[in-house]
Amino acid sequence: MSDWLVILGAGAVTFLTRASFIVFADPHRFPHGFRVALAFVPPAVLAAIVLPGFAMPEGTLALSLGNHRLLAGVAAAAVAMRVKNPLGAIGAGMAALWGLQALFP
Amino acid sequence: MLPNARIEFLGGCRDMAPVLVGTVPFGFVAGVAAIGAGMSPLEGIALSFVAFSGIAQLVVAQLVAAKSPAIVTLAAVFVVSLRFLMYSAALSPHLAHLPRRWRVPLSYLMTDQGFAMGARHYALPGDRSLRHYRMLGSGLTLFCTWQAAVIAGALLGAQVPAAWSLDFVVTLSFLAILVPAVRTRADIAAAVVAGAASLAAAGLPYKLSLVVASLAGIAAGVAVEGRHRR
Repeated sequence: MSDWLVILGAGAVTFLTRASFIVFADPHRFPHGFRVALAFVPPAVLAAIVLPGFAMPEGTLALSLGNHRLLAGVAAAAVAMRVKNPLGAIGAGMAALWGLQALFP
Repeated sequence: MLPNARIEFLGGCRDMAPVLVGTVPFGFVAGVAAIGAGMSPLEGIALSFVAFSGIAQLVVAQLVAAKSPAIVTLAAVFVVSLRFLMYSAALSPHLAHLPRRWRVPLSYLMTDQGFAMGARHYALPGDRSLRHYRMLGSGLTLFCTWQAAVIAGALLGAQVPAAWSLDFVVTLSFLAILVPAVRTRADIAAAVVAGAASLAAAGLPYKLSLVVASLAGIAAGVAVEGRHRR
Protein backbone atom coordinates (compact mmCIF):
# COMPACT_ATOMS: atom_id res chain seq x y z
CA MET A 1 0.00 0.00 0.00
CA SER A 2 2.59 2.53 1.06
CA ASP A 3 4.73 1.45 -1.93
CA TRP A 4 1.93 2.57 -4.25
CA LEU A 5 1.68 5.86 -2.37
CA VAL A 6 5.41 6.42 -2.96
CA ILE A 7 5.09 5.43 -6.64
CA LEU A 8 2.27 7.90 -7.29
CA GLY A 9 4.01 10.56 -5.21
CA ALA A 10 7.23 10.12 -7.18
CA GLY A 11 5.22 10.54 -10.39
CA ALA A 12 3.65 13.73 -9.09
CA VAL A 13 6.97 15.21 -7.93
CA THR A 14 8.82 14.45 -11.16
CA PHE A 15 5.96 15.72 -13.35
CA LEU A 16 5.41 18.92 -11.36
CA THR A 17 9.10 19.86 -11.39
CA ARG A 18 9.29 19.22 -15.14
CA ALA A 19 6.07 21.10 -15.88
CA SER A 20 6.83 23.91 -13.40
CA PHE A 21 7.81 26.62 -15.86
CA ILE A 22 6.74 25.05 -19.14
CA VAL A 23 3.10 24.63 -18.06
CA PHE A 24 2.46 26.65 -14.93
CA ALA A 25 4.75 29.61 -14.42
CA ASP A 26 6.59 32.38 -16.19
CA PRO A 27 10.31 32.17 -15.37
CA HIS A 28 10.70 35.91 -15.84
CA ARG A 29 8.46 36.55 -12.85
CA PHE A 30 10.89 34.88 -10.43
CA PRO A 31 13.52 36.82 -8.50
CA HIS A 32 16.95 37.08 -10.09
CA GLY A 33 18.64 35.25 -7.20
CA PHE A 34 16.39 32.24 -7.68
CA ARG A 35 17.33 31.96 -11.34
CA VAL A 36 21.04 32.33 -10.54
CA ALA A 37 20.75 29.50 -8.00
CA LEU A 38 18.86 27.27 -10.46
CA ALA A 39 21.76 27.48 -12.89
CA PHE A 40 23.95 25.60 -10.40
CA VAL A 41 21.49 22.79 -9.79
CA PRO A 42 22.79 20.48 -12.55
CA PRO A 43 26.52 20.64 -11.66
CA ALA A 44 25.78 20.36 -7.91
CA VAL A 45 23.17 17.58 -7.96
CA LEU A 46 24.95 15.54 -10.63
CA ALA A 47 28.29 15.78 -8.81
CA ALA A 48 26.60 14.70 -5.56
CA ILE A 49 25.23 11.64 -7.38
CA VAL A 50 28.41 10.77 -9.29
CA LEU A 51 31.19 11.19 -6.71
CA PRO A 52 29.98 8.57 -4.21
CA GLY A 53 29.58 6.10 -7.09
CA PHE A 54 33.30 6.45 -7.82
CA ALA A 55 34.83 7.12 -4.41
CA MET A 56 32.72 4.88 -2.16
CA PRO A 57 31.45 1.94 -4.22
CA GLU A 58 31.04 -0.23 -1.11
CA GLY A 59 29.55 2.54 1.01
CA THR A 60 32.81 3.65 2.65
CA LEU A 61 35.41 6.06 1.30
CA ALA A 62 38.00 4.20 -0.82
CA LEU A 63 40.55 6.63 -2.27
CA SER A 64 43.11 4.05 -3.36
CA LEU A 65 44.44 2.40 -6.50
CA GLY A 66 42.62 -0.75 -5.42
CA ASN A 67 39.30 0.99 -6.09
CA HIS A 68 38.61 0.02 -9.70
CA ARG A 69 35.55 2.24 -9.98
CA LEU A 70 37.55 5.31 -8.98
CA LEU A 71 40.20 4.65 -11.66
CA ALA A 72 37.55 3.83 -14.27
CA GLY A 73 35.68 7.02 -13.31
CA VAL A 74 38.79 9.16 -13.81
CA ALA A 75 39.33 7.57 -17.23
CA ALA A 76 35.69 8.17 -18.17
CA ALA A 77 35.88 11.82 -17.01
CA ALA A 78 38.99 12.37 -19.15
CA VAL A 79 37.14 10.99 -22.17
CA ALA A 80 33.99 13.02 -21.40
CA MET A 81 36.03 16.24 -21.56
CA ARG A 82 37.16 15.46 -25.10
CA VAL A 83 34.32 13.44 -26.62
CA LYS A 84 30.90 15.07 -26.87
CA ASN A 85 28.92 11.87 -27.39
CA PRO A 86 27.94 10.46 -23.96
CA LEU A 87 28.70 6.99 -25.28
CA GLY A 88 32.40 7.80 -25.25
CA ALA A 89 32.49 8.25 -21.47
CA ILE A 90 30.17 5.31 -20.77
CA GLY A 91 32.12 2.99 -23.08
CA ALA A 92 35.51 4.10 -21.76
CA GLY A 93 34.39 3.76 -18.13
CA MET A 94 32.93 0.28 -18.57
CA ALA A 95 35.93 -0.89 -20.63
CA ALA A 96 38.30 0.42 -17.94
CA LEU A 97 36.30 -1.23 -15.16
CA TRP A 98 36.09 -4.59 -16.91
CA GLY A 99 39.79 -4.40 -17.81
CA LEU A 100 40.82 -3.64 -14.21
CA GLN A 101 38.55 -6.37 -12.86
CA ALA A 102 40.10 -8.87 -15.27
CA LEU A 103 43.70 -7.84 -14.54
CA PHE A 104 43.45 -7.29 -10.76
CA PRO A 105 40.61 -9.44 -9.47
CA MET B 1 0.91 15.24 -39.80
CA LEU B 2 2.27 17.91 -42.14
CA PRO B 3 5.20 16.67 -44.25
CA ASN B 4 7.58 19.14 -42.59
CA ALA B 5 6.32 18.12 -39.17
CA ARG B 6 7.03 14.52 -40.03
CA ILE B 7 10.58 15.42 -41.10
CA GLU B 8 11.15 17.18 -37.77
CA PHE B 9 9.63 14.28 -35.82
CA LEU B 10 11.80 11.66 -37.54
CA GLY B 11 14.83 13.91 -37.21
CA GLY B 12 14.21 13.99 -33.47
CA CYS B 13 13.99 10.18 -33.36
CA ARG B 14 17.31 9.96 -35.19
CA ASP B 15 19.00 12.56 -32.94
CA MET B 16 18.29 10.37 -29.92
CA ALA B 17 19.71 7.18 -31.45
CA PRO B 18 23.32 7.51 -30.19
CA VAL B 19 22.11 8.10 -26.63
CA LEU B 20 20.07 4.89 -26.56
CA VAL B 21 23.10 2.63 -26.20
CA GLY B 22 23.51 4.07 -22.68
CA THR B 23 19.76 4.11 -22.03
CA VAL B 24 19.30 0.36 -22.40
CA PRO B 25 21.68 -0.81 -19.64
CA PHE B 26 20.65 2.11 -17.40
CA GLY B 27 16.95 1.24 -17.75
CA PHE B 28 17.74 -2.41 -17.18
CA VAL B 29 19.57 -1.52 -13.96
CA ALA B 30 16.64 0.63 -12.82
CA GLY B 31 14.29 -2.33 -13.39
CA VAL B 32 16.59 -4.69 -11.50
CA ALA B 33 16.93 -2.19 -8.64
CA ALA B 34 13.15 -1.98 -8.14
CA ILE B 35 12.90 -5.76 -7.79
CA GLY B 36 15.99 -5.83 -5.57
CA ALA B 37 14.27 -3.33 -3.27
CA GLY B 38 11.39 -5.75 -2.77
CA MET B 39 8.90 -4.17 -5.17
CA SER B 40 6.85 -6.41 -7.45
CA PRO B 41 7.54 -6.27 -11.22
CA LEU B 42 4.21 -4.46 -11.65
CA GLU B 43 5.21 -1.84 -9.05
CA GLY B 44 8.65 -1.37 -10.60
CA ILE B 45 7.20 -0.91 -14.09
CA ALA B 46 4.42 1.39 -12.82
CA LEU B 47 7.03 3.52 -11.07
CA SER B 48 8.93 3.80 -14.34
CA PHE B 49 5.84 4.90 -16.28
CA VAL B 50 4.72 7.52 -13.77
CA ALA B 51 8.17 8.91 -12.93
CA PHE B 52 10.15 8.28 -16.17
CA SER B 53 13.36 9.33 -14.45
CA GLY B 54 16.20 6.90 -13.90
CA ILE B 55 17.69 8.62 -10.90
CA ALA B 56 14.28 9.15 -9.25
CA GLN B 57 13.51 5.45 -9.78
CA LEU B 58 16.84 4.43 -8.26
CA VAL B 59 16.34 6.75 -5.28
CA VAL B 60 12.87 5.29 -4.68
CA ALA B 61 14.28 1.76 -4.92
CA GLN B 62 17.07 2.51 -2.44
CA LEU B 63 14.76 4.16 0.06
CA VAL B 64 11.99 1.57 -0.25
CA ALA B 65 14.66 -1.08 0.38
CA ALA B 66 15.76 0.88 3.49
CA LYS B 67 12.09 1.07 4.63
CA SER B 68 12.22 4.86 4.76
CA PRO B 69 9.07 6.84 5.53
CA ALA B 70 7.20 7.89 2.36
CA ILE B 71 7.73 11.58 3.07
CA VAL B 72 11.53 11.14 3.27
CA THR B 73 11.53 9.21 0.00
CA LEU B 74 9.49 11.89 -1.75
CA ALA B 75 11.76 14.64 -0.39
CA ALA B 76 14.76 12.83 -1.88
CA VAL B 77 12.91 12.48 -5.20
CA PHE B 78 12.23 16.22 -5.10
CA VAL B 79 15.91 17.01 -4.61
CA VAL B 80 17.05 14.86 -7.52
CA SER B 81 14.24 16.44 -9.59
CA LEU B 82 15.38 20.01 -8.83
CA ARG B 83 17.36 20.02 -12.04
CA PHE B 84 14.05 19.63 -13.91
CA LEU B 85 13.05 23.05 -12.54
CA MET B 86 16.10 24.52 -14.22
CA TYR B 87 15.51 22.63 -17.48
CA SER B 88 11.86 23.67 -17.44
CA ALA B 89 12.79 27.32 -16.94
CA ALA B 90 15.34 27.16 -19.76
CA LEU B 91 12.97 25.55 -22.28
CA SER B 92 9.78 27.41 -21.38
CA PRO B 93 10.43 30.50 -23.56
CA HIS B 94 10.68 28.22 -26.62
CA LEU B 95 7.47 26.37 -25.78
CA ALA B 96 5.36 29.24 -24.40
CA HIS B 97 3.46 29.70 -27.70
CA LEU B 98 2.23 26.09 -27.72
CA PRO B 99 -1.19 25.01 -26.43
CA ARG B 100 -1.37 23.06 -23.20
CA ARG B 101 -1.96 19.74 -25.00
CA TRP B 102 1.62 20.10 -26.28
CA ARG B 103 3.24 21.55 -23.17
CA VAL B 104 1.96 18.84 -20.81
CA PRO B 105 3.30 15.84 -22.79
CA LEU B 106 6.58 17.61 -23.64
CA SER B 107 7.05 18.30 -19.92
CA TYR B 108 6.36 14.68 -19.05
CA LEU B 109 8.88 13.51 -21.66
CA MET B 110 11.66 15.87 -20.55
CA THR B 111 14.82 14.17 -19.32
CA ASP B 112 18.48 15.15 -18.96
CA GLN B 113 19.18 13.94 -22.48
CA GLY B 114 15.91 15.38 -23.81
CA PHE B 115 16.73 18.77 -22.35
CA ALA B 116 20.26 18.79 -23.77
CA MET B 117 18.85 17.86 -27.16
CA GLY B 118 15.95 20.33 -26.97
CA ALA B 119 18.31 23.17 -26.11
CA ARG B 120 20.41 22.19 -29.14
CA HIS B 121 17.35 21.95 -31.43
CA TYR B 122 16.24 25.46 -30.58
CA ALA B 123 19.75 26.79 -31.14
CA LEU B 124 19.76 25.45 -34.71
CA PRO B 125 19.24 28.03 -37.45
CA GLY B 126 16.17 27.98 -39.70
CA ASP B 127 12.44 27.70 -39.14
CA ARG B 128 11.68 26.98 -35.48
CA SER B 129 7.90 26.77 -35.79
CA LEU B 130 7.83 22.96 -35.94
CA ARG B 131 10.72 22.23 -33.56
CA HIS B 132 8.28 20.84 -30.98
CA TYR B 133 7.73 17.89 -33.31
CA ARG B 134 11.45 17.29 -33.09
CA MET B 135 11.30 17.30 -29.27
CA LEU B 136 8.33 14.95 -29.39
CA GLY B 137 10.25 12.57 -31.66
CA SER B 138 13.37 12.49 -29.50
CA GLY B 139 11.32 12.29 -26.29
CA LEU B 140 9.14 9.39 -27.48
CA THR B 141 12.15 7.50 -28.79
CA LEU B 142 13.85 7.72 -25.41
CA PHE B 143 10.59 6.91 -23.58
CA CYS B 144 9.88 3.70 -25.52
CA THR B 145 13.48 2.48 -25.26
CA TRP B 146 13.62 3.29 -21.56
CA GLN B 147 10.38 1.52 -20.69
CA ALA B 148 11.34 -1.58 -22.70
CA ALA B 149 14.68 -1.71 -20.86
CA VAL B 150 13.04 -1.25 -17.42
CA ILE B 151 10.48 -3.99 -18.17
CA ALA B 152 13.28 -6.34 -19.26
CA GLY B 153 15.21 -5.53 -16.07
CA ALA B 154 12.17 -6.00 -13.83
CA LEU B 155 11.31 -9.36 -15.41
CA LEU B 156 14.75 -10.91 -16.06
CA GLY B 157 16.97 -8.90 -13.74
CA ALA B 158 17.92 -11.62 -11.31
CA GLN B 159 19.70 -13.56 -14.06
CA VAL B 160 22.40 -10.97 -14.80
CA PRO B 161 25.69 -11.82 -13.04
CA ALA B 162 26.84 -9.17 -10.56
CA ALA B 163 30.35 -9.47 -12.06
CA TRP B 164 29.19 -7.50 -15.11
CA SER B 165 28.93 -4.43 -12.84
CA LEU B 166 26.08 -3.09 -14.99
CA ASP B 167 25.09 -0.70 -12.21
CA PHE B 168 28.23 1.32 -13.00
CA VAL B 169 26.52 2.45 -16.23
CA VAL B 170 24.25 4.60 -14.06
CA THR B 171 27.12 6.54 -12.49
CA LEU B 172 28.80 6.90 -15.89
CA SER B 173 25.58 8.17 -17.51
CA PHE B 174 25.40 10.97 -14.98
CA LEU B 175 29.11 11.72 -15.38
CA ALA B 176 28.50 12.12 -19.13
CA ILE B 177 25.85 14.78 -18.36
CA LEU B 178 27.84 16.40 -15.54
CA VAL B 179 31.04 17.11 -17.50
CA PRO B 180 29.47 19.28 -20.23
CA ALA B 181 27.32 21.04 -17.58
CA VAL B 182 30.49 22.37 -15.90
CA ARG B 183 31.63 25.39 -17.91
CA THR B 184 32.41 28.37 -15.67
CA ARG B 185 34.53 28.73 -12.54
CA ALA B 186 31.31 28.96 -10.51
CA ASP B 187 30.09 25.67 -12.03
CA ILE B 188 33.37 24.04 -10.97
CA ALA B 189 32.91 25.37 -7.43
CA ALA B 190 29.35 24.00 -7.31
CA ALA B 191 30.43 20.56 -8.56
CA VAL B 192 33.54 20.29 -6.35
CA VAL B 193 31.78 21.40 -3.16
CA ALA B 194 28.75 19.19 -3.82
CA GLY B 195 30.98 16.21 -4.63
CA ALA B 196 33.14 16.66 -1.51
CA ALA B 197 30.08 17.23 0.68
CA SER B 198 28.39 14.10 -0.67
CA LEU B 199 31.40 12.06 0.53
CA ALA B 200 31.68 13.88 3.87
CA ALA B 201 27.95 13.56 4.61
CA ALA B 202 27.62 9.97 3.40
CA GLY B 203 26.91 8.74 6.94
CA LEU B 204 23.60 10.61 7.16
CA PRO B 205 20.50 8.41 7.11
CA TYR B 206 17.97 8.21 4.22
CA LYS B 207 20.38 9.49 1.58
CA LEU B 208 20.12 12.94 3.15
CA SER B 209 23.73 13.41 2.03
CA LEU B 210 22.36 14.04 -1.47
CA VAL B 211 20.14 16.87 -0.22
CA VAL B 212 22.83 18.43 1.96
CA ALA B 213 25.54 18.13 -0.71
CA SER B 214 23.34 19.56 -3.49
CA LEU B 215 22.41 22.60 -1.41
CA ALA B 216 26.05 23.15 -0.39
CA GLY B 217 27.11 22.96 -4.04
CA ILE B 218 24.43 25.41 -5.18
CA ALA B 219 25.45 27.83 -2.41
CA ALA B 220 29.11 27.56 -3.46
CA GLY B 221 28.23 28.27 -7.09
CA VAL B 222 26.17 31.32 -6.13
CA ALA B 223 28.97 32.59 -3.84
CA VAL B 224 31.68 32.28 -6.52
CA GLU B 225 29.43 33.87 -9.15
CA GLY B 226 28.69 36.78 -6.79
CA ARG B 227 32.35 37.44 -6.02
CA HIS B 228 33.26 37.21 -9.70
CA ARG B 229 30.77 39.87 -10.63
CA ARG B 230 31.94 42.46 -8.12
